[in-house]
Amino acid sequence: MKRKLLMGLVGLGMAAGLAGVVAQSGTGKLVYNSDASDPAPKAYDQKIVAQFKAKYPGIEMTHNTVDHESFKQAIRTYLASDTPPDVLTWFAGNRMRFFSSKDLAADIGSVWKDNGWEKTFPKGFQALSQDKGKYVFLPTSYYWWAMYYRKDIFQKLGLKEAKTWPEFLGLCRSLNKAGVTPIMTGSKFLWPLGGWFDFLDMRVNGPQFHVDLTDGKIAYTDSRVRKVFSYWKQLLDNKCFLENSASYDWQDAAQLMTQGKGAMYLMGDFIRDQWKDGLEATQLDFFRFPIINAKMPMGEEAPTDGFFVPTKAPNIANAKLFMGYLGSKEAMEQGAKELGRLVPRSDIDKGLYASKPQIAKAQATIIEPADYIAQFYDRDTDPEMANIGMKGFQQFMQDPSQLSSILKNLEATRERIYGKITK
Amino acid sequence: MALASRRTRSANYQTLALNRFLVIFSFLAVPLGLYFVWVLWPTLYTFYLSLTNWDSFTPPVFAGFENYKNLFSDPEFQHAILNNAIWILVFITVPTAAGLALATVLNNNLRFDRFLKVAYFLPMVIAPVIIALIWSWIYLPQQGLLNAFINLVLQLLKTIGFNVDPKSAYSIGWLGDPKLALVAVMAPAVWRQTGYVMILYLAGLKTVDSEVVEAAKVDGATGWTMFRYVIFPMLSPVTTIVVVVSIIDSLRSFDIVNVMTKGGPVSSTEVLANYMYVKSFDDNRLGYGAAIAVVLFGFALIFVMMYLRQVMAQEDEGTA
Repeated sequence: MKRKLLMGLVGLGMAAGLAGVVAQSGTGKLVYNSDASDPAPKAYDQKIVAQFKAKYPGIEMTHNTVDHESFKQAIRTYLASDTPPDVLTWFAGNRMRFFSSKDLAADIGSVWKDNGWEKTFPKGFQALSQDKGKYVFLPTSYYWWAMYYRKDIFQKLGLKEAKTWPEFLGLCRSLNKAGVTPIMTGSKFLWPLGGWFDFLDMRVNGPQFHVDLTDGKIAYTDSRVRKVFSYWKQLLDNKCFLENSASYDWQDAAQLMTQGKGAMYLMGDFIRDQWKDGLEATQLDFFRFPIINAKMPMGEEAPTDGFFVPTKAPNIANAKLFMGYLGSKEAMEQGAKELGRLVPRSDIDKGLYASKPQIAKAQATIIEPADYIAQFYDRDTDPEMANIGMKGFQQFMQDPSQLSSILKNLEATRERIYGKITK
Repeated sequence: MALASRRTRSANYQTLALNRFLVIFSFLAVPLGLYFVWVLWPTLYTFYLSLTNWDSFTPPVFAGFENYKNLFSDPEFQHAILNNAIWILVFITVPTAAGLALATVLNNNLRFDRFLKVAYFLPMVIAPVIIALIWSWIYLPQQGLLNAFINLVLQLLKTIGFNVDPKSAYSIGWLGDPKLALVAVMAPAVWRQTGYVMILYLAGLKTVDSEVVEAAKVDGATGWTMFRYVIFPMLSPVTTIVVVVSIIDSLRSFDIVNVMTKGGPVSSTEVLANYMYVKSFDDNRLGYGAAIAVVLFGFALIFVMMYLRQVMAQEDEGTA
């Protein structure tokens, strides 16, 4: 009898111990909403979720994929509700700060500490993940912007990558002479022009000026901003850009480049997906945006995507487990391997990039020499400012003589959003 | 005795009336409730929001008529109103005339008239978003169908001996050139509307009294005179409805603009509905967007009232 009781107690203890283990590895629910709606990222996203589920079978996980344009609007509804999803995809920079400054993003400092990420993520990405000293974001992938070009066309015409502004204008002239449109851009939906403004501003005025401008601390009517457009105008005067660029969305214009009608395109590395059948290996290459003022520090664009946990998330503990998995070496190496994009962890196997020589090139020629990494105009500044700003850039492309009135309009918008500049 | 019975009778009537009211109310409760939740309340709430500044997160801040004041000094808003006015003018003339012409011709028991009617009506069946996508491809300067066609025509002209450069066709930027974009965006909308107007007029033509037409024939009316002085006046109730529907449809124009140009380039194709959407959901200024919605509502209300009056007047005629 006594022995039976004892055995029973031991059994109970074991059961309790087991239950403890189960509780530790997560029970209950977890809702994850993702904007990875393109085929390849979506398949990858589903795979990561399946792996997490296999690791924590006790968690009842719901995974919703929302088209990424709709997601940008839906996320505000999620965050305004009392039971938001537990984990959301999002963008670093002003877009993340917009939420975290309103206390809508949970402090995930414990996830960073428990996983030792401060030792495995470069300093720039640690800074990018914080708001007022608290970790609110987990960066998981980034990509770079560069001047992409058709290397076969360059070879045929005996052209070389441009390092400086005069060399770049020279490329325009040679390509025009050969009957190839020098620069593609599809500005129907405006954003590709944000890249032009960012690079020109960072090359002319330096990254710090650009940060201050996008933070609303400098007037758009400042003479230094005008100077940016004087360089832009040189490109227009040299007929560098695709005619009627506002007629095309970025993919229509990229299509012209794959057909060999255009030679260069200032774009993010996702331009690669427009090439089929592995032709990009023989046709596509890129170089760093040419230097205009050699005295200025180098600013580059590397928009960073990642994840955060809403403050009101009902299942914060599980959300943190999932964040831990998303930022793990295992998950990130897999991302590098399967999507071929750059991941921020510095301890991942460099061999994974061996089949993607573009990554080594981007790291060596763009990311590592950079003094500052920008997130892109529409991620670095207020959304309305970005919209009206880029509309102004489009108007400038159509009619550069309007510059004064365009800048006056942008300044009126800046002042309304950020307030008067106090010196 | 008699008094007592009368009293019970009147009480009976009262319960009857109450019962009747309860029955009617129970039938109406559900639709009225839905109407309140889905139409009335959002409308009233939009009026309230238009008096606030709201970023969709932090609670709305009351701002009085500030949004309206800003609206009328906003050049893009003025541009949108102007474009809406152009839409209205084009919509009440072009598809109406074309639809009426088609209906008049197709009403004469032509060969293949069924096929032709279906063919002209078919665009109405396609979702506007799909129409917008397809037409944007047609308009692409270098890859699109339209410029390829113009190129072909120019080539023909050149072989005949005209001094033209066929290649210049590929530099027409239908949606990228602010001077062309508005026309280019309206064209598919007009194309879609024409079939709809045609069907309305075909239905109207069926109701034209054949005796009157016969009498007019005896009096010597033919062709244009017959149409101008006999048939067209008899179609006037249909014309009123067509015009009002066209105006309301042009005020509603959103999908085609949003997909084809999103109001660009440089707001040359901006219309109120798209501007409202951009301000509310891209720029997150929901109070400002609500103010645009209220202005649009005001415009639409005038024409909706006209429409309802016409429809009700016709119904009264029908019952009389």
